[in-house]
Amino acid sequence: MSSLVASLALQNLGPKVLDWNWISRNFSHEIIPAIIGHIYLSFVSVTIALVISLPTGIIVSRYRKAYPPVTFITGLLFSIPSLAFFALLVTVPGVGLGPRAVIIALVAYSLLVLIRNVVAGMDSVPEETKDAARGMGLTSRQILFKVELPLALPVIVAGIRIATVTIIGIATIGAYISGGGLGELIFTGISRNFPTRIIVGAVLATLLAVLADLSLLAIERYLRPWARTRRT
Amino acid sequence: MIEFRGVSKTYPGSLHPVVNDLSFEILDGEICVLVGPSGCGKTTSMRMINRLIEPSEGEILIDGEPNTAMSGTKLRRHIGYAIQQIGLFPHRTIADNIATVPQLLDWDKIRIERRVDELLQLVGLDPAQYRGRYPAELSGGQQQRVGVARAMAADPPIMLMDEPFGAVDPITRNRLQDEFLRIQEEINKTIVFVTHDIDEAIKMGDKLAILKEGGVLAQYDTPEKILAAPNSEFVSSFVGADRVLKRLSLLRVSDMELDSTNGDGDDLPRISERTNLKDALSELIGAGAERGVVVSNGDGARGTLSIETIRRLSHQAEAEQRYE
Ligand SMILES: Nc1ncnc2c1ncn2[C@@H]1O[C@H](COP(=O)(O)OP(=O)(O)OP(=O)(O)O)[C@@H](O)[C@H]1O
Ligand SMILES: [Mg+2]
Repeated sequence: MSSLVASLALQNLGPKVLDWNWISRNFSHEIIPAIIGHIYLSFVSVTIALVISLPTGIIVSRYRKAYPPVTFITGLLFSIPSLAFFALLVTVPGVGLGPRAVIIALVAYSLLVLIRNVVAGMDSVPEETKDAARGMGLTSRQILFKVELPLALPVIVAGIRIATVTIIGIATIGAYISGGGLGELIFTGISRNFPTRIIVGAVLATLLAVLADLSLLAIERYLRPWARTRRT
Repeated sequence: MIEFRGVSKTYPGSLHPVVNDLSFEILDGEICVLVGPSGCGKTTSMRMINRLIEPSEGEILIDGEPNTAMSGTKLRRHIGYAIQQIGLFPHRTIADNIATVPQLLDWDKIRIERRVDELLQLVGLDPAQYRGRYPAELSGGQQQRVGVARAMAADPPIMLMDEPFGAVDPITRNRLQDEFLRIQEEINKTIVFVTHDIDEAIKMGDKLAILKEGGVLAQYDTPEKILAAPNSEFVSSFVGADRVLKRLSLLRVSDMELDSTNGDGDDLPRISERTNLKDALSELIGAGAERGVVVSNGDGARGTLSIETIRRLSHQAEAEQRYE
């Protein structure tokens, strides 16, 4: 929001900083595709990361010994500087320039947060709730799907929120290796010394992150009706 | 019938058994109360019945069959279990919590709905008001009642209840106990009931299994027999020095042979025939009277009861048990 206000303020400095004509001329064939590309990168990355993290987190929450090594590896991935990570992936045979390398890096970055939250979510399920479930004859599978996952889901979604916001931010750098998305506007803006592109890219990336955060927050609330209702 | 045959349990990594060579039978339709100090293995013994815990030695038979004859999950769907920590599902409404086992057993929707309302009524919660709530919106005592209702949902012939009234105040607890005994008269389940409160045990139990440290069965008998003749120092101190009075609390004035009124009942205290002997004795002593007039519901005098009669009865029972 604040960056939006800032960009409006910049407008008064002259057409060179924020060229509205450029924006209206390139809206449909440059800006919109960049937004779609960005959403695509982020969405695909979060989805793949989730597919990996959910089973990993569940297994790790059961076999506790596996947790420290998993945290170590995902923590290591998380700490690689993004630009270096992208550059490195490009050199890997079969990856090369383009969205594929970006997605791999974004997935790697989200694993730590996602796995941690899956484990925290599973841990948050009260022991006596699982015990009662077993005592009534639910199978381990039924306990996982009917008791543990529903109770862990809000914490898992909270992890997805953090991962998504992080990914939307880092994805802009992916344009450096031709990954597409809003980063492309920013990078070409820098190289052609055209601030409008930079501002549009930055504002839209921020807006996207805020929107994603709010919708996931709404989902998180929706998934926890039992906590929303008040004691009477 | 549930039969413990030489059942012992030693937890892995521990040297001493927490349940030691337990052998006794629980008859159909009876409430058997497992009672004893904290940590004496009550919960462990109970959880071996539905195989949440497997015994290290011995076996448990249900209706003559070892409880290992069917899978643990199938067994547990046919044994109601109210766990000590209640353990309601926080993410499910009260109705869905109660419906857990009927849903597992594939009852149809209408039958489940009817059963849920019936059970809520039974445990004293208005269905219209409570069925749609979440557990967090109930008090501890109300949650406990839902836990009991949930255990009863599929109408299992056997119920395990681990301190089911632990979370409520003494007055509510008393009411729930009375309600439960009334319900049991109708449903006639085989019930294993755990408590560490000897008064609750005496009130609820057809039989008491008194356990001591290390999970050893100290005495197994009816409350009357145990109160009249505790078989060891441990049992007699566990039931308390007031065991004679406790035994009186098991008898009702209506069970007594009364003396005739002799027409002099006007200035004597009045005792309802439904009071127990302990309370009757207390009233007599409080009124400073030797005798009281027993009245039935319709206020008609049925006869008189004297302190001497109560005294003789208590003493006689003591003596009988001692020389038996
Ligand atoms: N899973 C376990 N592993 C190891 N030891 C255990 C386990 N569960 C219980 N114990 C031990 O076994 C003993 C008996 O426990 P149990 O829960 O059966 O006692 P209890 O009679 O139900 O006590 P309370 O009245 O406090 O509920 C205790 O000393 C306890 O520490
Ligand atoms: Mg216990």
